[in-house]
Amino acid sequence: MELVASLIVVPVVAALLLLAIKNDRARDVIAIAFAALIALLSIAFAVVFAGPGTYEFALPAEWGHPLSLVNLAIDLTVAIFVVCYAVRYKRPLALGLAALQIVVALWFEFAVQAGAEFSTTMRVDALGVVMVLIIGIVGSGICVYALGYMKDFQAHELHGNPQARDRRPWFFAIMFAFLSAMFNIVLVDNMAWMYTAWEVTTLCSFLLIGFTKSEEAINNAFRQIVMNLLGGVAFQFSLVYLGVFGLPLSFSTFVEIGSAFPALVMLPVTLLAFAGITKAAQMPFHTWLLGAMVAPTPTSALLHSSTMVKAGVFLLVKLSPIFAVSLVPSVMVVLVGGLTFALCSFMAISQSNAKRVLAYSTIANLGLITACAGVGTPEAVWAAILLIIFHAVAKSLLFLCVGTAEHHIGSRNIEDMDLLFERMPRLARFMMLGIMCMFVAPFGMLIAKWATLVSFVETGNVALIILLAFGSAATFMFWAKWLGKLSGIAGEPQNVELTVHKSEWAALLLMAGLVCVTCVLLPVMSSGLVVPYVQTAFRYGGQDISDGNLWIAAICAVLVILMLFAGLGRSSKQKRVDVYLAGASADNAARTFRGSLSAPVEATSRNLYLDGIFGEARIAPVGSGVCIVIMVAAIAWAAAVLPSML
Amino acid sequence: MTIIVTVIGIIAFAIAGPIIGCLLAGLDRIISARMQGRVGPPLLQPYYDVRKLFSKENASVNTSEHAYILFAFIFTLVAGGVFFSGGNLLLSVFLVTLSSLLFIVAAYSSRSPYSEVGAARETLQAMAYEPMLYLMCVAFFMASGWFDVAGVFFLDAPAITTAWLAFLGFLFVLTIKLRKSPFDISMSHHAHQEIVRGVTTEMSGPTLGLVEVMHWCENVLFMGWVAMFFIWSNPLSIVLAVVVVLAVYFLEIWIDNNFARVKWQLMLKSAWAVALVAGGLNVAVLAYL
Repeated sequence: MELVASLIVVPVVAALLLLAIKNDRARDVIAIAFAALIALLSIAFAVVFAGPGTYEFALPAEWGHPLSLVNLAIDLTVAIFVVCYAVRYKRPLALGLAALQIVVALWFEFAVQAGAEFSTTMRVDALGVVMVLIIGIVGSGICVYALGYMKDFQAHELHGNPQARDRRPWFFAIMFAFLSAMFNIVLVDNMAWMYTAWEVTTLCSFLLIGFTKSEEAINNAFRQIVMNLLGGVAFQFSLVYLGVFGLPLSFSTFVEIGSAFPALVMLPVTLLAFAGITKAAQMPFHTWLLGAMVAPTPTSALLHSSTMVKAGVFLLVKLSPIFAVSLVPSVMVVLVGGLTFALCSFMAISQSNAKRVLAYSTIANLGLITACAGVGTPEAVWAAILLIIFHAVAKSLLFLCVGTAEHHIGSRNIEDMDLLFERMPRLARFMMLGIMCMFVAPFGMLIAKWATLVSFVETGNVALIILLAFGSAATFMFWAKWLGKLSGIAGEPQNVELTVHKSEWAALLLMAGLVCVTCVLLPVMSSGLVVPYVQTAFRYGGQDISDGNLWIAAICAVLVILMLFAGLGRSSKQKRVDVYLAGASADNAARTFRGSLSAPVEATSRNLYLDGIFGEARIAPVGSGVCIVIMVAAIAWAAAVLPSML
Repeated sequence: MTIIVTVIGIIAFAIAGPIIGCLLAGLDRIISARMQGRVGPPLLQPYYDVRKLFSKENASVNTSEHAYILFAFIFTLVAGGVFFSGGNLLLSVFLVTLSSLLFIVAAYSSRSPYSEVGAARETLQAMAYEPMLYLMCVAFFMASGWFDVAGVFFLDAPAITTAWLAFLGFLFVLTIKLRKSPFDISMSHHAHQEIVRGVTTEMSGPTLGLVEVMHWCENVLFMGWVAMFFIWSNPLSIVLAVVVVLAVYFLEIWIDNNFARVKWQLMLKSAWAVALVAGGLNVAVLAYL
């Protein structure tokens, strides 16, 4: 219990301290100390609770009532915060949704739930352990990275406007508060409490996205809050449903009832799945995550890898035992996830902005996790959890790399990352490692995709198999061309990575180390963390790829890592020659040659973006339209069977 | 246990793969020559060519290119080892993908415009053939009940009986994988054509030699993928499989010599259409009927 409580309380303390501190050095020390503490606590937590089975903790019964009031107070504060912002920036839609939430929350608390006991149960299982490790290690690593990044960011702000206020205390406070809310979501059993934490993460990302207060940032922040409030309202309605029907607000009981009597909870499950889909930025809600990239890069890293969107897929994975037996929500989740995976992978091909490529890839992979959760077999859930783990480590590494590169080469365009292998040798290798981990064997994401394919095949899910086959091909295309851009070598350009902050290197090294360790120790991780959860939730383990094959992949991963960090770019006695330019080379590094009139001519080449085939304008409306129809139909169906229940 | 078997497979493939691949390449050149009304080189000409490449001076545009190619070669051997030791079909497909990725990155690393164009086209080719490859694996599994290739020896009837449509689709993308005309757009065998030599423009001497040997091994592995559709518990089926492989290889040579190169747009669209129709239909039939 102490461990669980400290995981939730320590980040809050850190947030409050950082809010009060204005001094750079003090902030560095405190943020690093708390980040390390949170990471250590999560590791200790994992050591204690890893393995099969679940653990439950509850506070003494008399705490229930005060905590329910605290819960309501936080809930209302979040909504009032949104109302204030909505009024200030004149956004009627956000205002309406937040007001609706306040009304429902008050009605629910004082009419529906009046007199009901407020459960303080915390429930820990192996999936909780996985999520705690991701939030605690990856999340706090990103907070450390942000220290250095935000110094450069602030310097840049001051450069543009000497009067710019230093709002970093606010930034770091939100970052740490975010971690606490995430710990709440993954550990708590009381759904009312989970809902509050859910809304806190929505608000935190709203504040982080709008951090720069530019017009674009404000617009995108409101797009995020409107979409996620929709999900929040759906979450709230499912709570009301449970309250009205006198079902307990315990998540574990809910899943048990749902898998035994799927018809009874069809509507709340569909609504919760909808909430998960909004948070996991599935089409048509993917635009909020794309818009989130206006925020400083650590924010994107946090939203994409360890928090926010992971809360969405966490909820879906938790619900998967119900999806396995309930057709309507399952079909909705599977189709929306599968379509999002394929279509967002296609659209990623047409993007040259590195952060946008990363965003599309995140949405696509979340789609795959969503689809796996929707399939709901043990094999699919095994794959989904591995996807969550590998996506978290690889994507945070990539975002941090792009953030650092952006500050040192002045661009986040992939075309400008030409020659990064020489300009920032260490960073480019990290980036290459992250990219390879995202899409190619023998690294984790692909092993997870492999399991995904097998699980789709075993359930005979033809639509998903086809979407996966085409989506994966597109994935190869957009990553391979980026990887190629990074790998170029010519001459001896100036090394510009010497000025990267130490804290940034520390975080980058941590993430790169995590990628290596998780990929190589995949079989251990599977038997130690993933199989136990699947076993508890489904009675059997669900690992569909034999240990032997996993170890072959692990050995291959070691080989690739050796190639990246020891095999490439070593000096040798090999003779150097100029590249062929169909003319006498003038300057090999600048790719100029003497043309037929003996004037120097520069050879240029760009990657293919295939906008005519895979452009956003062509694909996004179709995908969003189809997904909207699917979700409306599913929710309408679930609501239509409601009268027969009454 | 799997690992030991696989290691033995890798060693065996490292020896047999290049030999068989070299002979196939020699056969290819003789048959192509006959189709064009020439006599053609001796059967071992590809071997003499590669031996000459290895004796050439070791010069290159950067130090990394050779490392990428070396690892691409290693992973081709691992893929072959996994497959021919009866291992997991998907794993072997994924490892071939890794190998082709490293080949692409090697070309990009040279930063020669011709290599880059070749590499970009090779990426397109990979994107074109991958869906069909995945669907071929899925259809093979649904037809045979195994992802492990060794399973074919327990079958009552070969996978081709129910997965023939996916097999035909696979033959279509096999032309892309073998880089035969009309799909030789990333690196034509004829260096004087538009993009010089595409992916391999900057590769020379031992590096190029290694690329050649890698392609031999790849071809043998691809022919293995063809053969697995025709094998069942009857030992004589292996003979049948060899005959089919030779026929398929002859067909590919015939296609190579009779079709003009297409643009990438047509390649991508046709390969995806074939994957959707042949692969998708076959998988759907196997899943629902």
